[in-house]
Amino acid sequence: MSSPILKAAHVSKHYNIGERRAVVLHNVSLELEPGEFAVISGASGSGKTTLLTILSGLDKPSNGRVWLADEDITDLDENGLAPLRNRLIGFVFQAFHLVPSLTSLENIMFPAELNRDPEASEKASHLLNRVGLWEQRDNRPEQLSGGEKQRVAICRALINNPRLVFADEPTGNLDSENSREVVELLLELQQEFNTTLLLATHSSAITDRADRILSLHDGRLVKNDIRP
Amino acid sequence: MMIHYRFLLEELRYGGKQVLTFVVCVALSIATLTALNSFRRDIHGSLIDEARALQGGDIIIHAHQPISEELEGTIDTLAQEQDFQQQSTLEFYTVALSEDKDTSLFSSIKAVESSYPFFGTIEIASGRKLGEVLKPGSVVVAQEVLERLDLAVGGLLNIGDVAFEIADVVTFESMRPVSFLTLGPRIFVSMADVDRLGLLGRGSRVEHEILIQLADPANADRLSETLSAVATPRVERVETAKNARSRVKVFFDNLLFFLSCISILTLMLSGIGMQGSLSAILYQKQNVIAVTKAFGASNRYLLIQYLAMVSFMGACGSVIGVIAGYLIKRLFPLLFRDLLPQDVGYAFHPVDALEGIVLGIFVVTVFTLLPLHRLGAVKPVMIFRHETGSEKPGAAPLLAGIICTVFLILLVVRQIDDLKIGIFFVIGLILLIGTVALAASASLWLLKRSTLPTLALRQSAKSLYRPGNASRSIVITLTSAISVLLLIFLLKLNLFATFIESYPENAPNLFCIDIQQDQKDLFQSVVGEEVVMFPVIRARLLSINNTMINAEQERQRKTDNLGREFNLTYRETLLEDEIISDGNSLFGDSKSLPSGVVALSVLDSIAEIGEIGLHDRLRFNIQGVEIDAQVTSIRSRTKSRLYPFFYFVFDSGTLEAAPQTFFAAMHLPKSLIPDMITAITAQLPNVSTINVADMADRFGQLMKRLSVIVTFFASFSIMAGCLILVSTIFATRLDRIKETVYYKVLGADSSIVLRILSYEHAMLAFLSSLMAVLFAEAAAWLICRNVFDIAYHPHWHVAALTVLSSIILLVLIGLASSVGIIRQRPAVYLQQQNSV
Repeated sequence: MSSPILKAAHVSKHYNIGERRAVVLHNVSLELEPGEFAVISGASGSGKTTLLTILSGLDKPSNGRVWLADEDITDLDENGLAPLRNRLIGFVFQAFHLVPSLTSLENIMFPAELNRDPEASEKASHLLNRVGLWEQRDNRPEQLSGGEKQRVAICRALINNPRLVFADEPTGNLDSENSREVVELLLELQQEFNTTLLLATHSSAITDRADRILSLHDGRLVKNDIRP
Repeated sequence: MMIHYRFLLEELRYGGKQVLTFVVCVALSIATLTALNSFRRDIHGSLIDEARALQGGDIIIHAHQPISEELEGTIDTLAQEQDFQQQSTLEFYTVALSEDKDTSLFSSIKAVESSYPFFGTIEIASGRKLGEVLKPGSVVVAQEVLERLDLAVGGLLNIGDVAFEIADVVTFESMRPVSFLTLGPRIFVSMADVDRLGLLGRGSRVEHEILIQLADPANADRLSETLSAVATPRVERVETAKNARSRVKVFFDNLLFFLSCISILTLMLSGIGMQGSLSAILYQKQNVIAVTKAFGASNRYLLIQYLAMVSFMGACGSVIGVIAGYLIKRLFPLLFRDLLPQDVGYAFHPVDALEGIVLGIFVVTVFTLLPLHRLGAVKPVMIFRHETGSEKPGAAPLLAGIICTVFLILLVVRQIDDLKIGIFFVIGLILLIGTVALAASASLWLLKRSTLPTLALRQSAKSLYRPGNASRSIVITLTSAISVLLLIFLLKLNLFATFIESYPENAPNLFCIDIQQDQKDLFQSVVGEEVVMFPVIRARLLSINNTMINAEQERQRKTDNLGREFNLTYRETLLEDEIISDGNSLFGDSKSLPSGVVALSVLDSIAEIGEIGLHDRLRFNIQGVEIDAQVTSIRSRTKSRLYPFFYFVFDSGTLEAAPQTFFAAMHLPKSLIPDMITAITAQLPNVSTINVADMADRFGQLMKRLSVIVTFFASFSIMAGCLILVSTIFATRLDRIKETVYYKVLGADSSIVLRILSYEHAMLAFLSSLMAVLFAEAAAWLICRNVFDIAYHPHWHVAALTVLSSIILLVLIGLASSVGIIRQRPAVYLQQQNSV
C-alpha cells in the first residue's frame, strides 16, 4: 500500500474572539490516498473550509500536525510552503479568486511561470482549449461568467500537474447547470491528471460520487467512510 | 435628518491612517497660506498703509534730470495758491573717501533740505532731528560708513571735492526701510553743499525729487493730475504717495506673489491628497455602505453621515492648520531677518485664524465633492458580487473639475490680486495637467505593449491595469507635483549657477561710469593700463515703426521696459561676446538707407520685448534731438549678463557729436579693487566706480537668503506630494493585498511577492518622475532663456536624484502599506472575502 498523500493527526483550531474562545475544529485526524476523490461534507459552520485551509497549508492548526506527501508542513513558514503550494497543490475556490489584472490565459499560466516552466503558455492554451474557453483567452475575470471563471480556476489549479487539488465549495456561486458542468469537468480532469481531489461541499449530488466521505459536525469528524 | 454619532465615531476609529492623512492634508493645505496672508497684512500695514512715511510726501515728482522750469514754475505758483509745502532732494551713488583718502566706499548720497522729511522718521544716534544736525559742511552717515572707513563722529569724510565733518549717525530711515535693496550705505548731505561737490556733471545719474506736503491729503489726486499735465512726458513722473511704486513694495509684492504661488501649489497637492485619502476610506467601507443600503438607508442618509465625518475631519484639520500657520509665522522673523523693515509686526490676529478656517472649509468642500458623490455609485448588490461592472462616470467628474478650477481661479486672484495673472496661472496648471494626462496615457499604453523580461516585472506591469486601477491618476498627480517642485529647484540652481557660483573668472569686476570726454587720458593714466571705453549717450525711444511708445503701459511690464531712458553707444565692431543673429553685418549696407536715417544694431533681448525686427524703423530722442534709425542687425550675446552690453549700437560717426560720457569695465584681482577705486576717486571724484565683485557677493548673499525662504515654502509642497503618495497607496491598497494573497496561494514566495509589489510602485514612480523631469527641464529651459535671459544648465544629477528618490519613496510607502500581508497566512484574508 502506497503512503498517504495527505495526513492530519489530532488537528484542532480555535479562535479567540475577545475573551471568548471559539473551537472550530476538534481533534481531527485523517489520511488520503493518492488519486482519491474525497469530499468533506457538513452543514454550514461545521468547519469544512477551516479544515480545508489547514490541510492545504493556507492556515495553521492550533494543535495537531499535517503531512503533505510525507512532509510535515505544520511549522513551515510562508516561504517554506510556497514551493509546495506551487508544485504539489492546486486550489479551486467558491469565490474563484482569479487575479483581476490577468486575462484567462495569463491566470492559468501564472503558477507555471512561477515554476519557471518554459511550456507554460502551451500548457495553458491546451487547458483552455480543453475546457472550451479558447475564445475567452484574452478576457479578464470581470468579463467572464461565473461558470467560465470557475473553469479557468480549475485549469489554473491543474497546470502544474499537482498531486493534490483542494476545492472549497466550487459550485457555491454557480447555478445548477454550471454546477453540474463544473463538477463533471473537475472529475474528468482529476482522472486525466491522476490527482487527488479533496472537495468541501454540502451538495449531496457531489458527495454521492466521492471515493471517501469525511463528515464534519460542529468541528468534529464524525464520519470517515470509503465507498466500496 | 439625524447624524448617528456612534456610527461617525466608529468610522473615524476604523479609518485609522487614512483619517490621519486626510486631517494632515487639510492642515497642510491652509497652514502656509494662513501664515503668508497674515504676513502680507503685516507688510501692507507697514509699507502700504504708511505710504506717506515711505515716500516722504503726499506727492512725489521724480526725474533723472533736473526738474523742468515749467514744472517748477507751476509748482511754485500752485504752492502759493493752494498753500502747500515743497522741498527738493537729490540722490546718487558715488565713492566717499576716508579722512586721509586711503580708503573708499561706494555710498548712496542723499542731499536734502532742512525740512526733510515731511512724513516718516529719520532717527539719528544723538536723538536730535536731522534738520538740526545737518548743516552745510557736515554729513550724517550710516554706521556702516564709519565702520568701513574707520571713522568716527567728528572726523572728516571726503565726497567729491569737499571734506565734510561727520555730524551724527543715522540709525533708521522710514523712506528706506530695508538696506538690502541698495548698493551702498547712506550719507546725508545738505542741499546747500551739492554744487560744491562738483559731482553732478553732464550725464550724471542723479535722481531728482520734489516732495509736496498738502494741507489736505484728499487733494493729492487732483493736484497730481494737474502737475502731470505740465510734466515732461516720460521724463518727469508725478505720483501720489498712495500709488507710488517703491522698490521695497515691488520687491515684497514679487516675493509674496511667488510664495503665494508655491502655497497655492501646496494647497492643490494637499487637496488631491485629501481626495485620495477620502476615496480610500470610502473604498474600504464599500461593504458597510452596501449593507447599510440593503437595509434601506438612502443615499441622502449616507451622504449626511459621511458629510458629518468629513466636516469633523475638516474642522480638526483646519484648526491644526491654523495652529501650524501660527507656528510657521513664528519662524518668519528668523527666515526673513535683515530683509524686513524694522517696524513689521509678527502678531497673529483673530482675522488670520478666521481666514484660515474659512479657507479650510472651502478646500474641504471642493476637494471632497467627487468622493462623496461616488457614495451613490455603491450598490447593495456589492455585498454579493464585487465585480458589478464599471459604470459610466457621468457628468460628476467634469462638474467637480469645473468647481475646482473656479475655486482655484478665485483663490489665485485673491492671493495675487491680479485677475489676468490668476487666470493665466490656473490655465497654465490645467494645460500642464492636460499635457501630463496625455503623456501618462501614452506611456502607460507603451508599457502595456512592451515585453518585459521577468515574471515579476511582467506581473507588476499588468497590475497597473487591474480593473478600477488608479494608475493614470497616480501618474498624472505625481508627475504634476514632481515637475512643479523640480522646476522651482532647477530655476533656483540655474540662477545660482549664473549669478553666484560661476561668476566668470575673467568677467569685468570694476565698472567706471560718467567719465567725461576730457577725463579719458587722465583716467587711462590712473588705471595704468589700456582700457576700452565705451561712449554712452542717454536717450529715449520715441516710436517703433511710427507707433509711439506708451510709457504708462511700458511701466507695467515685469521685465525691462521701452519707456525708460536708455544708454546708446556707437562702434564699428561686435564685442567679443556678441554674434549677429539676424542680418548680414552689424550695420549692413548703410548707404542704401534713406537720407536722414542711420543704421542701428539691436540686442535680441530688447528686440523681443519690443517685437523689433530687421529693417524696423526706430525714432530716438537724444537730449532734445530726434533721430531716425533703421535696424540693420540683431545681436545675441554668448556670455553671461555680467559682461557689459548695450541694447542699441549705432554706427561710428552718427552720434559722435552728441553729449556723451564714457564707460569702462575692467578686470582686476579682487584684493586690488578697493585701492583702484580710491585712486580713481581721488583723481576723478565725479567718476562713479562700481565694485561688481562686491555687488555680486552681496547679491549672492541675498539670493541665498531668498533661496532658503523658497525652499522653506517648497518643503510644504514636498510634504503635500508625499501625502499624495500615501493617500494613493491607501486608495489602491486593498486591491494590492488581494492580489498578494492570490500570488501566495498559487505558490509565490515572499521574494517574488515583494518584487512584484516593489516593481509596481517603482514603475509608477519611474514613469511619473521621468515625465516630471522632462516637463520640468523643458519649462526651466524656456523660463531661463526667455524670462531670465540666462544660460541654462539641465543639472541632470538633480534630475537623476529626483527619479531615484521618487522610486525609493514610493516603493517604501507601498511596501509599508502591504508588507504585513506577506508574512500572514492567506486563510485569514480568504475567509474574510468568503464571509462577505
